[in-house]
Amino acid sequence: MKMKLRRFITLLLSLAIASACFAHVGSPDVYFQGQAGAYNIVVVVRTPQMIPGVAEIEIRSDKPGIRTVKIVPLYIIGPGSKYPPPPDVLQPTPGDSQFFTGKLWLMGSGSWEVRIEVDDDNGTATLAVPVPAAARNTLPMQRSLGILLLGLMTLLVVAIVSILGASRREGQLEPGAQAGPQQKRAAKIVMLVALVIVIALLAAGRWWWLDKSSSDSARKIYQPPKLSVSLDQSGKLLLHMGESPWHTRRPDTVMTALIPDHGHLMHLFLVRMPAMDRFYHLHPAQVGPEDFSDDLGMITPGHYQVFADIVRASGFPDTMVAETDLPGNGSAFGAFGRGSPDDSEASAAALSEASADNLTAPLADGGRMIWEREPGALSANKLLWFKFSVEDAGGVPSQNLEPYMGMAGHAEFIRSDFSVFAHVHPDGSAPMAAVNLANANFAAQGSMMAAMPGMQLGLHKLSAEVSFPYGFPKAGLYRIFVQVKRNGHVETGVFDAHVN
Amino acid sequence: MLSLEEAMAQTLTHDFPGASAGAAARAEVPWHIWAGVVAVSSIMFGLYWDISWHQTIGRDTFWTPAHLAIHFGGILAAITCTYLIFSTTFGHDAEAKATSVGVWGFRGPLGAFLTAWGGVTMLTSAPFDNWWHNSFGLDVEILSPPHVVLGVGIMGVGIGSLLLLVSAMNRAQGITKQRLNAMFLYTSGILLVLHMIIVSEYSDGSFMHSSIFYKIHAFGVPVLLVGFGRGSGRRWGATIVASIYMAIFLLGLWIFPFFPATPKLGPVFTNVTHMVPMGFPVLLIFPAILMDIVLNRTSGRNAWFQALLLGTVFVAGLLAVQWPFGDFMISTHARNAVFGQNYFPYAFPPSLYKLVWEFQLDASPGVFWKGMGIAWALAVASSRIGVAFGERLSRLRR
Repeated sequence: MKMKLRRFITLLLSLAIASACFAHVGSPDVYFQGQAGAYNIVVVVRTPQMIPGVAEIEIRSDKPGIRTVKIVPLYIIGPGSKYPPPPDVLQPTPGDSQFFTGKLWLMGSGSWEVRIEVDDDNGTATLAVPVPAAARNTLPMQRSLGILLLGLMTLLVVAIVSILGASRREGQLEPGAQAGPQQKRAAKIVMLVALVIVIALLAAGRWWWLDKSSSDSARKIYQPPKLSVSLDQSGKLLLHMGESPWHTRRPDTVMTALIPDHGHLMHLFLVRMPAMDRFYHLHPAQVGPEDFSDDLGMITPGHYQVFADIVRASGFPDTMVAETDLPGNGSAFGAFGRGSPDDSEASAAALSEASADNLTAPLADGGRMIWEREPGALSANKLLWFKFSVEDAGGVPSQNLEPYMGMAGHAEFIRSDFSVFAHVHPDGSAPMAAVNLANANFAAQGSMMAAMPGMQLGLHKLSAEVSFPYGFPKAGLYRIFVQVKRNGHVETGVFDAHVN
Repeated sequence: MLSLEEAMAQTLTHDFPGASAGAAARAEVPWHIWAGVVAVSSIMFGLYWDISWHQTIGRDTFWTPAHLAIHFGGILAAITCTYLIFSTTFGHDAEAKATSVGVWGFRGPLGAFLTAWGGVTMLTSAPFDNWWHNSFGLDVEILSPPHVVLGVGIMGVGIGSLLLLVSAMNRAQGITKQRLNAMFLYTSGILLVLHMIIVSEYSDGSFMHSSIFYKIHAFGVPVLLVGFGRGSGRRWGATIVASIYMAIFLLGLWIFPFFPATPKLGPVFTNVTHMVPMGFPVLLIFPAILMDIVLNRTSGRNAWFQALLLGTVFVAGLLAVQWPFGDFMISTHARNAVFGQNYFPYAFPPSLYKLVWEFQLDASPGVFWKGMGIAWALAVASSRIGVAFGERLSRLRR
């Protein structure tokens, strides 16, 4: 009984962690834009909830001329990166020569890349897009399917018992003979015994099913390492990553060692709950294999949601999640921003539906950021371009934006209930560390990367405008923190968005 | 396959001396029995092909040729049996009615009902399997609950087709009986192949020094070997059935790699250039010979006494040959086209080859011997079921 209860609880737990998501939180789809030869293409990969599974892939180019688009999935590094399977050809959309769709088979959890090959009259151009794949949750059985299967099971049980009864009653009779009372009685006994045996087999099958489904779930479903957050006596923020059996079980395809992304092993976001009116983007230093610390400095007191982004040596990203109370003073480290020159902070009014139509955000240096939003409502699960322009205090488009950790900008999308968190760049939702690994692997295998005219990686002309490709995973109220750097300071524009 | 049957038919005269009287006559095998044999062969071939497909090509749709072979077998058997049941119930064929059984007001041969039941069970597995794929991932294993339902359905179709054959065989005379007996042995061999495919995840050489190997095979194989051996009415029935299983597995192992193929899915861990076959067969012929000897010498004795001996010689015989054979199978001498230990599925990383080339042992000798005790008990129990099954088969008339 104890065992049964434990399995049941394990099963429930495995279903309850459905919201846990790799690479960001609650935002599993990949949005990516890059240059393939003469074409700027945007790639959307809608990953399946279970691995092995089939992802949907959409590719849109900025101009017509592409003849065919081919895709090949393979692991970014390790033994699975050596032999690419033959490519799949994406289907063009009738009436839209710039839009291609297809299916992407992801047969294992881990850090994948999709190699995209674009053919036109002038030749072939390529691009590699990192796609982290991990099982997110199991699918509960639909009621209608459950009823259908239960009905069929009952029918089959009654039928096999009847057939076995008929076998005993008449099976051994010479042709034409009739079953006598002895055969009929024996048939009834056979049916009774058969019924008991079939029910026992079904019970054993049910036990096996529950056992197998719970162990399958525990083995397959992604879980980020647990993150414990504390402050030491001097006010230093301490972060400890717990064990991650899901990762250690996948030494070739996920790995556990960390690699820097934008020059930092960890990007830590502190967002004050529930109003999201204080926001900190920090870069703690690694002080042990699983330990990080940050000289927090003075921050506004409150209860904070913690998101910690890391990237594994395979290019697989994790976002660890925690909540913590932070006192505002008592720190021995003085003003905020002592930890890393890339640290940044922002303040804003409380998140509210009322502010969702506000497309202008003041910046700390007196300038402002404008959301160049297209008219109409925002829809979930749809590729959207988020364009923001930066003006100085005089209302003139800013001429002095500079790269912030190597990128034209960083945007964090957070849902009001903190169930969604996505850290996006102008290249999309993939971490740059993974993009670099994917392209390095591609180049190492004789790809035409170096020879490709027009092939660029992560270079963005720093105009006064910065844009991000992304799609909200579900409806709701979101806050978007858009971060750019100018005059040596990080500026953060804060916008709210209502998504249908 | 026909030539195999014919060859066997020629060897049968020893067991059916009466057959010579009708040797000049033509064997009259009803069409529905041929349909059943074709259906079961198609399912078996499709299943073997499907597993090879998963190991080689990977990409799976409803329309792969391997799936079509399985579906063709299921549909052929289901249509045949539905026709038989309806024509017997509503037709005027007195002989068909006289050799039928009744289920829910319908009449038909017993095998037809079981085959139809197997067909519905196979159909039931389809939405279940689809849900399982969505919930727990696309196929990467043979033994999942929906696959077990499919397997039970296939065995329903297979045993149903066999019952159709057996009832006709038991009523037949002369050369027809001889021909039907050959078809019975062939179909039994196919059913053993189907069973061995289902348990093949535990048939590798690396398990041959672990109790799981013996437990898995003791669980079901004696039912089939004893049942078919006894049901065939032949002195070496179990041996012939085990030989057919081994021959089919060896043909698969030796012929499939001649067909070039490449994976259509990543990750490709092993560079595969041809169809990857299933492994070398379990050497069932040796325990089968011992079981035939026991069956021949204990005919008419107490069924539990028979089962005790049968179960014991099965486990002892299997252990005696598989233990040293395991040593050979994990050695470098078996890594060739004859023994197939050099074939790996495309998704099998080289770092895991050692799982095939090293013994997966029990935790301790105590655990092993306890497991062997369980294997022996399972073998005795399943032999007892096999004795009863064979007894029923030999008496089936409808």
